[in-house]
Amino acid sequence: MSLGFVLLLSLLIFCIGVAGVIIRRDPIVLFICIEMMFNAANLAFVGIARATGLVEAQAIAFLVIAVAAAEVAVGLAIIIAIFRSQHDADVDHVSSLKG
Amino acid sequence: MGLTQALCILFGALALASALAVVATRHVIHSALWFITHLLCLACIYGLLNAPLLAVLQVMVYSGAVMVLFLFAIMILDASVLPALPRGQGSLQALGGVLAALCLLAPGLAWLRLEGRGLGQPWPAASAEGSTAAVARVLFGSYLYPFELVSVLLLVALIGVMVLASRKLESTEGRP
Repeated sequence: MSLGFVLLLSLLIFCIGVAGVIIRRDPIVLFICIEMMFNAANLAFVGIARATGLVEAQAIAFLVIAVAAAEVAVGLAIIIAIFRSQHDADVDHVSSLKG
Repeated sequence: MGLTQALCILFGALALASALAVVATRHVIHSALWFITHLLCLACIYGLLNAPLLAVLQVMVYSGAVMVLFLFAIMILDASVLPALPRGQGSLQALGGVLAALCLLAPGLAWLRLEGRGLGQPWPAASAEGSTAAVARVLFGSYLYPFELVSVLLLVALIGVMVLASRKLESTEGRP
């Protein structure tokens, strides 16, 4: 096992998440892909903690999980509020904030 | 050591495959279920990387609480209304997404190849007691302030979600 393997895996997962955010138009799947990018960052943190012995990286990963949970709660509430007011869940059609 | 490595590669491959399945499947619920598989594979990798606390938190918080929230939102939103991949320009959009991901992937791979010569070496042996005690010492020591800030953030998120939900109720009552 090496740090390079974990960082490569993290990089690949992050890129899949980016591709998903661009390809999909469904807000729920967009959120899932954003969570995937959070998880890729966490994987890199854990790998660095294992390879260098710095447990601070694990503490940061813990904080990232908490922030991601808060973000999901607020984001899903906003998606449901938009869906209830506009009856449309396509991110390309929700453009009322566009100038 | 050989077993750990084999399991790490196995779960890494499973995590990659399920991540691809999340992006590729058309139905939202299939995406969510594949994402749960992805999260569980990552939890196994965390356990193999001597981070048992994060492995347990990954299962409880992510594949437990967060995914229940996602499935609940899918249930409320009526999955048949949610847009799938666009029919006409779907392949073009997918091509754009893959190209953008490759634009990110290429410099990362180049960095791993050029700067990461030391990254291929095996790491030191794990401590026998695991790292939970050490993480707790750091988290409640030098990281106490960020830790408390995160608790305030969770409280703010909780209040924000309640405000969003209640305002929605008022406006639906006002609607004829």
